[in-house]
Amino acid sequence: MKVLKTVAFKTLGCRLNQFETDALVTGFHNAGYHVVEGDEKADVTVINTCTVTNQSDQKSRHTINHAAAKNRDGLVVVTGCMADNYKEKLEGQEQITYVVDNDRKSQIVELVNGHFTGEIIHPDKMMGDRFGFDTVQKSLHTRTSVKIQDGCDNFCTFCIIPSVRGRAVSRPVKDVLDNVRRVVDNGFKEVVITGVNIGRYDDEGLTFENVVEQVLELPGDFRVRISSLEPDGFSEDFHQLFSHPKLAPHLHLCLQSGSGEILLKMRRMYSANYFMETVERFRKAIPDFNFTTDVIVGFPGETDDDFQKTVDFIREAKFSHVHTFRFSRRTGTRADRMKEQVSGKVMAERSEVIRKISEENRHAYMHSMQGKEQRVLIEKVAGGMASGYGEHYMPVAFAVEDPTTNRFEQVRLTGTTPSADPVMQGTLI
Amino acid sequence: MHTITDVDKYTVEDVRHVNDSTYVLQFSRGGMEFKPGQHLNLGTKGSGQHREYSIYSSPDNSSIEVLIKLVDDGVVSQQLRNVQPGDELSVKGPYGFFLTDAKPKKGEKLLFIASGTGIAPFHSFIMSYPEADYRLIHGIRNINEAYDREHYKADRYFACTSRGNKGDFNGRITDYLLSGQEKKADKVYLCGNSSMIYDAMDILRAQGYRHDQLFTEVYF
Repeated sequence: MKVLKTVAFKTLGCRLNQFETDALVTGFHNAGYHVVEGDEKADVTVINTCTVTNQSDQKSRHTINHAAAKNRDGLVVVTGCMADNYKEKLEGQEQITYVVDNDRKSQIVELVNGHFTGEIIHPDKMMGDRFGFDTVQKSLHTRTSVKIQDGCDNFCTFCIIPSVRGRAVSRPVKDVLDNVRRVVDNGFKEVVITGVNIGRYDDEGLTFENVVEQVLELPGDFRVRISSLEPDGFSEDFHQLFSHPKLAPHLHLCLQSGSGEILLKMRRMYSANYFMETVERFRKAIPDFNFTTDVIVGFPGETDDDFQKTVDFIREAKFSHVHTFRFSRRTGTRADRMKEQVSGKVMAERSEVIRKISEENRHAYMHSMQGKEQRVLIEKVAGGMASGYGEHYMPVAFAVEDPTTNRFEQVRLTGTTPSADPVMQGTLI
Repeated sequence: MHTITDVDKYTVEDVRHVNDSTYVLQFSRGGMEFKPGQHLNLGTKGSGQHREYSIYSSPDNSSIEVLIKLVDDGVVSQQLRNVQPGDELSVKGPYGFFLTDAKPKKGEKLLFIASGTGIAPFHSFIMSYPEADYRLIHGIRNINEAYDREHYKADRYFACTSRGNKGDFNGRITDYLLSGQEKKADKVYLCGNSSMIYDAMDILRAQGYRHDQLFTEVYF
């Protein structure tokens, strides 16, 4: 009997990286590999890295070293944004077999197949294709992402991503729609529209909103969620799209700071006022619309007053979750050269303040949702309890008799578990 | 499929000093397409150091120009000052969205507000669309920073000087805006240091401009 080669994956960073790993899992599975858990010894280990902050670099390095030590006889393939940012350094490490940049990430299956069949080539000789990934069939999740865009031209002063993900490029709308059709045919009930800066989608004049509109019109019992979005990436009518029953009323809209001065220094393309007007416009149309966000604390020059503006903004906008990043100096960015760098101690204090407000907001939002109905996509059933997410992207747990996962159930929300990481409780309707 | 553009064949054609601390670097275009308002990442070949500079020239020109102010403890502005015709540059881009939607429409009044070398994208725009109905308010310290003033129609360029008394207005841009002398425009574009933009935006909002009439590009 032929023994299948094994492949393991480790993924760091953003939702886009997670999607690209899922697609590689599918590709290796289709090519006859046996996919094992990330910590298991394997013939091939693929590490999909992140480099957005210094902490991401450390985690990526640790993961590479750990995986290489465990798989001394196996192939170690390092890809992702760290592979772009530190290509030469990584190529100089003997423990790493291949370093594959983002352009060629989708070709890793061919690269590894070639290695085992004696057709060894340098990854740089392979054709790049940002959208050449397999349609996800065998996912580690119940929801799947569809990549519509890659790269970013915004050049925010703190961000290294334009240097590692490259210029903004959009996938043709026809390919996006084909991809959504295929993942729905494969049984996925939730499709997450993803990319690096999806609001900048532009396919020969077709905008981000145009592509979302077309995805929503595709037949099938599925819902659409939009991943992280920049506030300048849509028109004032965007909220109207959310009246469509397939579009989940949740946006992760990146604030970064509530201070107008800091937003300018970050070279963000909106003002705090504009952001708040956007939130208000959505909530006027859909009062329980769920906003989550990213915030950077300790950006160079951020004063106590600037920080207080961010705190006030978070309270007023009622974000149900705030992902807080401590400012991280990235070589080559404008913010790295800025004076008035903020100390680590101050950043830690500010980060803690926001963490607590985020928790308060989350509890308040969950409380406000009690008594309402949610259409929950069941991800897991254990001990007669189902868990999954409602359309507002709140985790919900409820009792079921049917142990089947990946199906929708209509649930009435009855309460919240008393914990730091609360889950909403509900009953089947 | 794509990496950041870094075409090696950009060569220096000229360095033209417009005053003691500012110069216009002209180099071969290498087939680059760009829109007025966009910027480049620019450095000397092989230095590994790049800085962002808005394009000063029009897309109609065969060469590209950028307006560079020497930074005392800067690296790239000093290196670029010393380049010679024929030297190769490292150029990445073009990037950005500033002014890219500003193509003049009939009857539309544009107000451009710049501090220092923040005038560069407006120069590119005005050289491309001389027929545009614009007013350019330029905040500078001394009148010798009124770079290439003769390139603009006399009644459209307006210098606010914070030092000396040779400007069209003696004081900062924000003082001028607060004076209420400037007629209302349909769209306002601001480019320069973040403090000026932040303060000017507050004033303009108080004067009734909506956020969708205001556009910014920050220089540091």
